[in-house]
Amino acid sequence: MKITRYDEMKGLGLDLIREIGSIGTGNSATALSSMLGKTVRMTLPDVQILGYNEAIKFLGDPEEIVAAVLVKMTGEINGLMLFILKLDFINEVLNSVLQKRIEDYYQLNVMETSALEEIGNIIISSYVNAMSTLSDVTINLSVPDIAVNMLGGILSVPMVEFGYQTDKMMMISGQFVIGGNVLHSDLLMMPDIQSLNFLMEKLGITNG
Amino acid sequence: MDKQITVGIADMKFARQEGILITYALGSCIGISLYDPMIKLGALVHIMLPEVYGSGDGNIFKYADTGLAETFRKIEILGARKPRLIAKIAGGAKMFELQGNSTLGNIGARNIISVKQILQAEGIRLTASDVGENYARTMSFDISTGEVKIRTYGRAEIIM
Repeated sequence: MKITRYDEMKGLGLDLIREIGSIGTGNSATALSSMLGKTVRMTLPDVQILGYNEAIKFLGDPEEIVAAVLVKMTGEINGLMLFILKLDFINEVLNSVLQKRIEDYYQLNVMETSALEEIGNIIISSYVNAMSTLSDVTINLSVPDIAVNMLGGILSVPMVEFGYQTDKMMMISGQFVIGGNVLHSDLLMMPDIQSLNFLMEKLGITNG
Repeated sequence: MDKQITVGIADMKFARQEGILITYALGSCIGISLYDPMIKLGALVHIMLPEVYGSGDGNIFKYADTGLAETFRKIEILGARKPRLIAKIAGGAKMFELQGNSTLGNIGARNIISVKQILQAEGIRLTASDVGENYARTMSFDISTGEVKIRTYGRAEIIM
């Protein structure tokens, strides 16, 4: 049975999405680990189906400043990949790649911003590659873009993208654990509803 | 300290005489404050999309057209009159630049156009706006004075 709303996902359907998330985040962790030369793990992926205001609360405060890398997926799976980076994660990365640390987002210059964008892009691409290989689907990725701004404003982008389909956001999220510490970052995969139906059909899974 | 009321996403709140209506981090969404100075009645609407599509999904404040229509209906019941109303708007930003992406690319701009057209068609004065660009805005609306403050990241506060 095809779903028409995110909150109709249950049982096997949710398990499938969680499994795809797990393989995606695992691959991203490997990519990040080889860039940083450190052990990187991911927390177990979590599937959240939340209303707009709850989704923001789940990830932080609406006015909180964060950096975020956004990539759009098109092809057999349509949706957005959003990687949200907070200060401790940014410092871990900048320290490894450029031997620099910042105290505040204001201090991010063009060079550092573009390094973060590229790392976000690699993390997202590794995730999507794993997902595409596993499910044998074609997914094209857009050029990434990075924004440093209020969390609420950044999350309005996926909300608007799916705004005509749904009042909820579905986020398959995971967080990086570097050297034993959970750092503040959220890797979110947000497929549209049609893509979920396509994936379940393709992999022969009945929702329920 | 004035009572502060938060307006969520796809939401509307109103207040009389005093209080602060606040909506956080408007990205491509638009916040519209409507104020009747004679009776000190104000409403703040937070819309996401320019117009309802088909019969809609029952979430009236998600769309500029249905959201504003419902707001006018509510505040007119409470005594507001359109010729006295003063509107101020904020938001409609483009948070990310993504190539070949029509929905994400221009939704902020389409929201701005839609809201302005509706206000004009209803004959409501739009006295101030802070829209577009690529950053989020928090909008707070003081009902006792009609003053609207815009808070952003890395820019001075705007009072309008």
